[in-house]
Amino acid sequence: MRSSFLSDACCREAPAVALGGVSGAPAGPADALGGLAALAGTFDALGTHAVLGLSLPSPTIFAQYFVFAVLLGGIYGLVALGLTMIFGVMDVINFAHGALMVVAMYAVLVFSDATGLSPFFAIPFAVVLLFVLGVVVYRSTIAPIIDAPQENQLIVTFGVLLILVSGVEMVFGSDPQQLGLDLGSLNIAGVFVPQGQLYALVIALVALAGTWLFLQRTMLGRAIRGTADNRDGAQYVGIDVPRIDALTFGIGAALAGLAGGVIPLFQSFTPALGDQYLINAFVVVVLGGLGSFPGAFVGGLIIGFIQVFGSAYLGGSTYQIVIFMAFILVLLVKPEGLLGGSADE
Amino acid sequence: MSSALSRAVERYGAFRDEWYALPALVAASLIILAAMPFLRQLALFGVAPLGWLSLNMLIVTLVWATTAQAWNIMSGYTGQFSFGHAAFFGLGAYATIILTSTFAISPWIGMLLGSTLAGLYGLLIGALTFRYDLEGHYFALATLAFAELLRYVFTNVPQLGGASGFFRPLAREYADGPGLAAFQFTGDLPYYYLILGFLTVVTAVSLAINRSQLGYYLFAIREREQAAAAIGVPTYRYKLLAVAVSAFFTAWPGAFWAMYFNTIRPSTVFELLVNVEILLPAIVGGIGTVLGPIVGAFVVIPVGEFVRQSFSIPGLNNAVYGVILIAIVLYSPKGVVSWPSRFVELLRSRTDLLDDDGA
Repeated sequence: MRSSFLSDACCREAPAVALGGVSGAPAGPADALGGLAALAGTFDALGTHAVLGLSLPSPTIFAQYFVFAVLLGGIYGLVALGLTMIFGVMDVINFAHGALMVVAMYAVLVFSDATGLSPFFAIPFAVVLLFVLGVVVYRSTIAPIIDAPQENQLIVTFGVLLILVSGVEMVFGSDPQQLGLDLGSLNIAGVFVPQGQLYALVIALVALAGTWLFLQRTMLGRAIRGTADNRDGAQYVGIDVPRIDALTFGIGAALAGLAGGVIPLFQSFTPALGDQYLINAFVVVVLGGLGSFPGAFVGGLIIGFIQVFGSAYLGGSTYQIVIFMAFILVLLVKPEGLLGGSADE
Repeated sequence: MSSALSRAVERYGAFRDEWYALPALVAASLIILAAMPFLRQLALFGVAPLGWLSLNMLIVTLVWATTAQAWNIMSGYTGQFSFGHAAFFGLGAYATIILTSTFAISPWIGMLLGSTLAGLYGLLIGALTFRYDLEGHYFALATLAFAELLRYVFTNVPQLGGASGFFRPLAREYADGPGLAAFQFTGDLPYYYLILGFLTVVTAVSLAINRSQLGYYLFAIREREQAAAAIGVPTYRYKLLAVAVSAFFTAWPGAFWAMYFNTIRPSTVFELLVNVEILLPAIVGGIGTVLGPIVGAFVVIPVGEFVRQSFSIPGLNNAVYGVILIAIVLYSPKGVVSWPSRFVELLRSRTDLLDDDGA
């Protein structure tokens, strides 16, 4: 029942955006990101107190927001993981990260439609596909200009973004799609835990642990960390830096694939959804510290909390203003991030 | 044939090195642009080669040429790569429409106010980012954050229009009717010449900076900021100046946008893609050159608009932009305006080779 409510809300909103509706196209992220607004709406429908203004919430509602914030923060952490890896190792801002996620979302859709299997089987497929796509993108566009000024790489990855998102839009249209999953939610002492997001969080933590182990415990991982520390030095000691770059970009894209793959578990998606995650993922990466994996999750949690509590207490998408102000503040005062200095983690 | 060609090439090579070459080329392009609405109707043997260029496309092209020209002053000349010029564009658009539709004040005053606000916002961004020495990626991300910040401010403050933005009021609601004073016209042609006028002003400013001592200071900052500072260029002050001038003029096409199209919303003027459309012509045409933004706009925008308007495939024009962006950055990072010179060098080296063979 819950998830049907959620998808209803999403479907009603999105066509207005797609048609370029003049009448109040609502700011997307509030609805798109986990359908939190819709979930908050169910509260009113369930007869619990609407949280308005400065009135203190009941402990249950507070716990509910807390759960939402942690779940959303985990997803942001997962989204930022691949971005922070490419940023940290290659010093490239990958604007195409959100677009890669979008490709993964639609890959999951196509795979589960074609095979009739559970979407959980489609996620590994999306990850492998995105790894290959990432290596192709790297070889064709990033590798030739890896030593060019940073702006060039930024522009090129933006070009990749435009091509990928437009490609998806041309094939699937810009109407919202969904898997039609009904995972339901757990009810723990009056606090709802949407299962789709719970699975996503678990997958995010597994991905974090897996990537961390790979980087710490394998020779390749060590080579990647060495390249992140010092590209020239890595070259001198015999590391094939272009190959490491290709691998890093592939892994980064595969992590984008994982992030994009879990999103259909709990929300409907459009080709534009990638942009909304991308911008906040930048914030997460910088908050957490460039290249820092634990930082990505800390940053993700911060953004998750700002977004959930902000949309509950400030209304609309005002929380986004708070997020950008925090972002600018950190950029200015502590650009190495809140967990700064741990760039080689 | 080859001798005639090589003589022409030689003549161009000599012309290119003259001091008046750039002003002459700029003037020639602006004159061609002024004749464009008629050129596009010109038919040769019953076929109009430029017939597919609609007036609307030309107007949109000039809007982005103007923004790129303004962006170029900050990012091309001074090397401070801004990814958030939509902030200035949007401020120009919003100040104009709010004054006009809410207070019935002339859009021209709105445009002036909007560009002043944009300049001040640019100074704020510059003062913060330059003080804290943000560079490269961090600078680009910071400018993007400042632009996105405004987008959500305008989305969430009802007095500023909220997510639904503003409708352009009818001309008679705040003026005597359509005309230059009202910033509204009945046909597209006056709009075309108005935006061409804006482009001419910004291009003239850009050319003047390019040829002045100020320009040399800015180039020095771009090439090596520490060296520039070491020989006594007050880099902080000049970077601020470049941002302010660039922001001020980016607001003009924003104001034009508000008065040319029927509605503006945060999702149209502060959109992530607007940041790219602003700098796209400069990248394609040639960063840091006066002609680049104009040439680049005519390479990119009509193609994109043509694709968008003639095929009903949404997103195809963005894919075309993406391909052009990647191709230019990978294969010709100096832009389209460098092609004639590259051609000259190519032919010269060829003929040198031939001469050597003959000797």
